[in-house]
Amino acid sequence: MAEFEVAATLDITPDVCPITFVKTKLKLEQLKEGEILEVLLNDGEPIQNVPRSVKGEGHKIVLVEKLDGKYRLLIQRG
Amino acid sequence: MTIDYNELKKGGFLRQRQKDTFIVRFRSIAGNLTSDQLRKLADLADTYGKGYVHVTTRQGAEIPWVKINDYDNMKKEITNYGLTTGTCGPRIRTVVACPGLEVCQNGLTNSRACAEELDKAFFGRPVPMKTKIGICGCPNSCSKPQENDIGLVGVIDPVLIEDKCIGCGLCERVCPGKAIEMVDGKPVLNRKRCLFEGNCISSCPVDAWEETRRGYLLYVGGKIGRLPVLGKVAAEFLQEDEVIEAVERTISAFERLGQQGERIADTVARVGLDAFKEEINILDIESKSADTGTEQESEVG
Repeated sequence: MAEFEVAATLDITPDVCPITFVKTKLKLEQLKEGEILEVLLNDGEPIQNVPRSVKGEGHKIVLVEKLDGKYRLLIQRG
Repeated sequence: MTIDYNELKKGGFLRQRQKDTFIVRFRSIAGNLTSDQLRKLADLADTYGKGYVHVTTRQGAEIPWVKINDYDNMKKEITNYGLTTGTCGPRIRTVVACPGLEVCQNGLTNSRACAEELDKAFFGRPVPMKTKIGICGCPNSCSKPQENDIGLVGVIDPVLIEDKCIGCGLCERVCPGKAIEMVDGKPVLNRKRCLFEGNCISSCPVDAWEETRRGYLLYVGGKIGRLPVLGKVAAEFLQEDEVIEAVERTISAFERLGQQGERIADTVARVGLDAFKEEINILDIESKSADTGTEQESEVG
């Protein structure tokens, strides 16, 4: 899969619900439509909730990558 | 005046510890009361109670400290206000439900509307023992349907569209039942472990998981009390228009199988779940009996 051009990066590994999603949402709102946000998040509750909330807000997840104990998401602003 | 306590109970008047004093229970459906109803409850609590309203564990409202001499006047006011009293004793009780699909992010089915239908069909109906109905719009079970004699849980059935899948493994991670396993880079669903909550569908970045159907799981024989028991699945994926009939069948089965003093939980424990399910099934209610027959072959235990 071709790598995407990342417009911004957000590390929400220190955060818990609902701040994880709130930060992601606010960051996405700063981007232009079609731009990519890179998000680093923990396994467990954040990976359970952030992707589907992001999807529910009309953004597109273009990559899910498992790193050591955490995940890297690339989200395209919808 | 002579007091018919059974008659009072039917109308939601519960004898209080103090002589000639009553708790008046009000009916709510799915725990919703309009602001207008709440204002009227407040007025009634000021006039006939001690100025407070007790919120019950089953989403009802109660006004304590009502004097028996005020019964007639209060009853008249309740009727004029368009409020309805609750019920107690051996009857179908207030239907409890979560907010469901209408407002909840996790909701899969419209539990509020379902509660209204069930309330319309069954509320207050005399049964051998008190029978409680609870509904939840998804398997998170916030409204605790498994604690009810008859419980309904909204569910969704996922299927993988393999061509769309990019093999990211997110569904495996978000599956609460650990029903999905990545095999050779593709998810494989073990339906026996599936909780039908739909996390795979809502999380999948490329919509490779799709919904094939949604409906309700029917639980029977839950109760709390001194000897708590959780309800057990008696039917899967009941469609919204099949719920009333399924509950009717369950109540009828209980009326025929239940012995003196038994809740549905006790009857199910005595005759066995399979026998109870069979009894739900054989009842001759017209339509769909053949369809629901196959649905009873439950994989969820």
